[in-house]
Amino acid sequence: MKSLLLTILLATVALGAMARPVRAQDQMTPAEKRQLFREGAKLWPLYCNTCHNARPGAEKAPYEWDEIIMHMRTLGNVPPNDVRALLVYLKSGS
Amino acid sequence: MSRHRLRNVVVALAGLLAIGWPQLASGEDPAPRSREIAAIRKAVKQLQEDREKDRLLIDKLLNRLDTVETENKSLKASNEQLQGQTAQQIGALQTKVEAAPSTSDFSEAVRRYLGSHTFTVTGAAGVDFIYDRQTAAIDGVSNETENTFLLDWEPMVLYRPTDWILFEGVLSGSFGAAGTGTDLSTADFQIFLNDYMTVVGGLFDQPFGDWYENQSPMWVNRFVTAPLPFGVEPVVPPGEVGIQLRGGFQWGEMGQDLDYTTWVGNGPNFSEPVTGAAMGSPTAIAFSQTHSKAFGGRLRFYPLPVDSNIGRLELGASTYDGKWLDGDWLTSWGVDFNYLWGNFQARGEWLESYRQMPAALASDNRQGWYLQLGYILSDVNLPFLPDTLNDRIHRLQPLVRYSGVNQRAVAIDDISGATGVGGGGIQAGLIPDFGLSGSPALYAPHSREVALGLDYYIAPSIVWQNEFDLELPRAGGLFVASDGTTSPVGSTPNDRAFLSQFTVGF
Repeated sequence: MKSLLLTILLATVALGAMARPVRAQDQMTPAEKRQLFREGAKLWPLYCNTCHNARPGAEKAPYEWDEIIMHMRTLGNVPPNDVRALLVYLKSGS
Repeated sequence: MSRHRLRNVVVALAGLLAIGWPQLASGEDPAPRSREIAAIRKAVKQLQEDREKDRLLIDKLLNRLDTVETENKSLKASNEQLQGQTAQQIGALQTKVEAAPSTSDFSEAVRRYLGSHTFTVTGAAGVDFIYDRQTAAIDGVSNETENTFLLDWEPMVLYRPTDWILFEGVLSGSFGAAGTGTDLSTADFQIFLNDYMTVVGGLFDQPFGDWYENQSPMWVNRFVTAPLPFGVEPVVPPGEVGIQLRGGFQWGEMGQDLDYTTWVGNGPNFSEPVTGAAMGSPTAIAFSQTHSKAFGGRLRFYPLPVDSNIGRLELGASTYDGKWLDGDWLTSWGVDFNYLWGNFQARGEWLESYRQMPAALASDNRQGWYLQLGYILSDVNLPFLPDTLNDRIHRLQPLVRYSGVNQRAVAIDDISGATGVGGGGIQAGLIPDFGLSGSPALYAPHSREVALGLDYYIAPSIVWQNEFDLELPRAGGLFVASDGTTSPVGSTPNDRAFLSQFTVGF
């Protein structure tokens, strides 16, 4: 059992290292940001309200949204592009 | 007139009188007349000198006046120049103020100021009042009508040392009928390997179904209490210490997603090796040797694209399996759904666990379910009411929930011996706790509950929740003592409870 767990762990780390890393928001072009903002505006009321009332971007500072979106990304297993869109949308209102 | 000049005038007049008077008196004496003339001349000369002095003084004053007037003009010019410069400077400052740094620039400045390691405190706090009218005891379990105020504070600290690591920890501090209690609800690291893989390690809510992870925070749960299968008679353990691998991806259009969660943990644990024993908390699991690790998996599927405008539907399936004692297994599985369309929301879960028992004991099977419906009245306008009242109505959300649990038996020691601090949904005894009425009916092997709710949203995360519970347990099942003796559960007390809670998510 221990060897199986170790194998799974090593395989996970190897897969993770090979995969494309998460792209930071400051690497986006203005056109990409505008597109993500439009997508975020659609996703925000639907994704957030699925579990709790959607909270306006103005409630938190941009750096706080950086952390909260990581927390929500984990809880909701939100796809990567949707995470970026929501983050751009929320930070634009803060 | 100065005294000096007055004296000269007097002297001159006296001279004139001296000249005129002797002529009238005697015109024959020339010597005195010449003296008078001399005196007059002297007086005239004096007057002429005084006049010259005055003229010089006037000239001097006029010159001074010219100088002052020139200086005044110069000062005026300087003042006007200064005013002009000041106006220019103010204009420049206004331009600078109006051209303030953009949000992103300001954000970047704050980020630099805060440094790369940042903290955020979120979480929730709430105060609630519970009135529980307990009509009768279940066999062998006492009853007493309760009413009390309770408080709970659950700060969540998020620590982000870099953009691919997050630490989160939730502390729970509560003031209940049995005293104050603290609890470490979750504490885990989240390592974002890439877009589709996140490793979570530590103490976490059980990722089984939707409730423990996503619905248990007090400001997120639409009701004050948890549905029965996630309350005092959990079907699967509410928390776990271990490691997860999870992620999600889009398989179709935007909104059409699939996500997965797999995990390994310390495994299940029970208070006693008897049927119906209470689930152990993660700390009890860590303290007790459970002989094996447990494995869990969950898939969630989202079939509706966002642009279809027919809402968001989530369909999920979960399993959790591990040996709880020697070679005896706990196996469990469940399905869940969640549908949101505009102001309407429906969610529900069905879950079941099967526990092998040692020796000749019958297996410990448990089932649980709930169905919850809610509607936010934000589009309801009653024309006969003023706008202020309609605005209040828009903030209301009526709710209804039906939940139930079926167990073969419940360990009687777990009810009578519970301390009243119900961290993580562990049995809390027959006294109210935060979000728990403490009704004996909740502990019936075949408990059923209809909950009616009315929430009033002051802000998206500030809510006043009201709940009315009708406990409708069914007869059947057994109470099991620690020595294994059993007694059938026959009576079905229909308790009523009212819970009102003010909650802030921050």
